[in-house]
Amino acid sequence: MTYLVSLFLLGLVLGLVAVASNPAPYFAALGLVVAAGVGCGVLVGHGGSFLSLVLFLIYLGGMLVVFAYSAALAAEPFPESWGDRSVLGYVVVYTLGVVLVAGLFWGGWYETSWTAVDEFKELSVLRGDTSGVALMYSHGGGMLIACAWVLLLTLFVVLELTRGLSRGALRAV
Amino acid sequence: MTPVHFSFTSAFILGLMGLAFHRTHLLSALLCLEGMMLSLFIALSLLALQMEATGYSVAPMLFLSFSACEASAGLALLVATARTHGTDRLQSLNLLQC
Repeated sequence: MTYLVSLFLLGLVLGLVAVASNPAPYFAALGLVVAAGVGCGVLVGHGGSFLSLVLFLIYLGGMLVVFAYSAALAAEPFPESWGDRSVLGYVVVYTLGVVLVAGLFWGGWYETSWTAVDEFKELSVLRGDTSGVALMYSHGGGMLIACAWVLLLTLFVVLELTRGLSRGALRAV
Repeated sequence: MTPVHFSFTSAFILGLMGLAFHRTHLLSALLCLEGMMLSLFIALSLLALQMEATGYSVAPMLFLSFSACEASAGLALLVATARTHGTDRLQSLNLLQC
């Protein structure tokens, strides 16, 4: 279990290396999908199954799907993958940087300091994060209303930005 | 620094460097921003889980909703750029160039 979660942590860092080295946006979105998937695995390994589910649904299934088909706006005839010379340079530099900084902290990474094992004291239907999120609907009601208001406001912001005509936000002429 | 903290910290810094050194496309900068949001979500969730303070589980949920707002605003800017300049390449954003 420790080994699996440590593999997921490695996948998170390598996925973000794949995004940060700036290949064509098709491949960067793929790297982000992989990073989010293994990030969900890390959260499940710590006992946060509800937060992992929320990450999958909202982040991967909502936001990244929109990014994936917005990648059509960035279409080019020869997309640069991670094997092309310029992108490979960034990949190598970022990976070496992560390995070097990890070498600084390597001394304290013993077997018992890897991950917190999920503590399962009693048999329960409600896990910790599920019942913690339920607080959002009781004591955190004001913040919930604020978030809903902000989301509604963002809808109008997006509509205004993409309205265009000749009076829109970004016009060259 | 435990390996978990090192992982999401380096993920955040990698996303930040990808955002700072982005080259051709505006969309790749937005994707690096989303990577930073992912690492922050994982950090907030692990704070609630590792400290066994389940009341802080609300923070990643609210953070995700604000992150969705930011992503949609960024994509609206991308669409507006593509509609105006024909492409999202940063070479075409040269109106202020001397």
